[in-house]
Amino acid sequence: MVFSDVAKVYPLPAGDVRALDGVSFRVDRGEFISVMGPSGSGKSTLLNLMGCLDTPTEGDIWISGTRIRDMSDTELTALRRDRIGFIFQYFNLFPLLNIIENVTFPMMLKSGRGVDPERGKEVLRAVQLDEKLFTHTPTELSGGQQQRVAIARALINNPDILLCDEPTGNLDSKTGAGIMDLMTELNRNGTTIIMVTHDQNIADYSRRTIRISDGRIVP
Amino acid sequence: MIFWEIAKRNIRIHFLRSTLAMLGIVIGVVAIASMGILGNSMVSMVSDSLSSVGDSVIVYPYTGGGGGGFHGGSSGSTENMKITDQQFQQIKRVVAPGIAIPVHSTSERMKVGVSKDYIVASVYGVDPQYLKDLNFELTAGSLNNANSGCLVGSAFAKDNNIKVGSRISMGTDGSKGTLRVTGIIKERGMSFDISTDNAVIATQDWFEGTYNTGKYYDELVVKVKRDQDTANVKTIIEKQMNKRDKVVMVIDSKATLATIYETFGAITSFVTAIGGISMIVAGVSIFNIMMMSVNERIKEIGIMRSIGTQKKEVMSMFVYEAAIIGVIGSVVGGILSLLAGYAISALMLQSTKYLWTLSTVSSIAGGVGFGIVVCLACGIYPAWQAANLNPIDALRHE
Repeated sequence: MVFSDVAKVYPLPAGDVRALDGVSFRVDRGEFISVMGPSGSGKSTLLNLMGCLDTPTEGDIWISGTRIRDMSDTELTALRRDRIGFIFQYFNLFPLLNIIENVTFPMMLKSGRGVDPERGKEVLRAVQLDEKLFTHTPTELSGGQQQRVAIARALINNPDILLCDEPTGNLDSKTGAGIMDLMTELNRNGTTIIMVTHDQNIADYSRRTIRISDGRIVP
Repeated sequence: MIFWEIAKRNIRIHFLRSTLAMLGIVIGVVAIASMGILGNSMVSMVSDSLSSVGDSVIVYPYTGGGGGGFHGGSSGSTENMKITDQQFQQIKRVVAPGIAIPVHSTSERMKVGVSKDYIVASVYGVDPQYLKDLNFELTAGSLNNANSGCLVGSAFAKDNNIKVGSRISMGTDGSKGTLRVTGIIKERGMSFDISTDNAVIATQDWFEGTYNTGKYYDELVVKVKRDQDTANVKTIIEKQMNKRDKVVMVIDSKATLATIYETFGAITSFVTAIGGISMIVAGVSIFNIMMMSVNERIKEIGIMRSIGTQKKEVMSMFVYEAAIIGVIGSVVGGILSLLAGYAISALMLQSTKYLWTLSTVSSIAGGVGFGIVVCLACGIYPAWQAANLNPIDALRHE
């Protein structure tokens, strides 16, 4: 992933707000990076751009060699589905679907039809979730278990990048540490991880930290 | 497909809400379809009970005031409430080549055969030479010529067990003599000229002799020829007769039939439209629950969109939801409207024989179709709104 002189401007009645200004960096395959910064620093904007939920006002972003500027909503959506795995602070599982269905949901989006639940089970085992829970609904699981399911869902389509927004923000420190150990292991097995956090202890799991302040990268 | 599954489950967890919305659609479909069924049954019943002959123009003496119905006012026997022979001759001339048939009518007590009970029926006096022009079809016997002979209507014959050759004692204690039945007229339904089904048709001579009416008639039936128009004939008669004062009232059977059918058609449309209002109300409630469904799932939509769900897939999920409610509600409504149509017909028309017709099927199909269309139409905007939420804002929504 390459950011080249990226700026994001939000037009507001009181005047334009430059949430990001001249941001350039590069993330190589297999890296484990944390993005840190105080609230209002442009962290969320950066995350939205990395996640292809938004496009830059200026500059260019390449993901796996694809320039995301000028892409249609349909193309960006397909890119998110196939190349990026999202992990959220609040797990964000679908309450109407059971664990297996939650995990295989992105696979169904990709294939457009029903999928083999075995693949879902395989990934769930990889995130060390108890097999008994596979047919439960998300609300019956603890926070740590839900986050493991969310990670499994993010991994199911073999994404190029795992994008995490405060993945342990809603977990106690012990459970959080378990999740971070899992992430470290996934990274060791080749998954590229970009993690947004304001917790230095969590950021310490990563191998590189990008600090951001007032829309700019702090050198 | 997963979105179909999600739509189903969402309906299931909001069971009460969804059921109420379905109930609205059920009521809407039942209202439209059963009103349609009732209206169509009504029209079928009326057209069955009316003689469909549209080749007559009927002339009544003008009795002043508000008309007085098809056969009203004939019991008052003052001469100015009758059609005179002179008037008959005038009309006969102007309607040619149509045929003007003078008719006497009254109602009378009578006894059939050895029965002790009196019955009351209409009695007409018609010159036998005109019987073939009146197009009576007989189920038994022949058109009578003899003075003491008569024809009777099929319903009258059936109710009183009358056969050809039966004798009818006319008047109290046979004071008006005896008539012998020579023929039975096939059922014709209510007619503008002569309603034969419950009547005795005697000869003009017998009638005039028995009731001392002279050549003063109760009505004239003008049978128009094929190349004549009933409306024209009506106008000609009115022009000729009502020059100075209004002396006759002229009824054009064809126009009257058309008016009756139009009226019933309008009533059917009107009650169906009232049913339509309940469908609109149901549509509003569908719209409402779909908006609720979208609003309470904004975050979920944000998650779906962010992990790669296309707009049209989000839209399909909500359209499925509206479609499930619409199809179930409409089909249940269709089934119930058959029952409702049956009940209303039985109650209001005292007959359900008009229920099993093509128009019933089309009423139900129309109601069900309209119900589904309303549901989809009311589900599309909320679905479109859901699909077009900004994923970033939706994700941040609490």
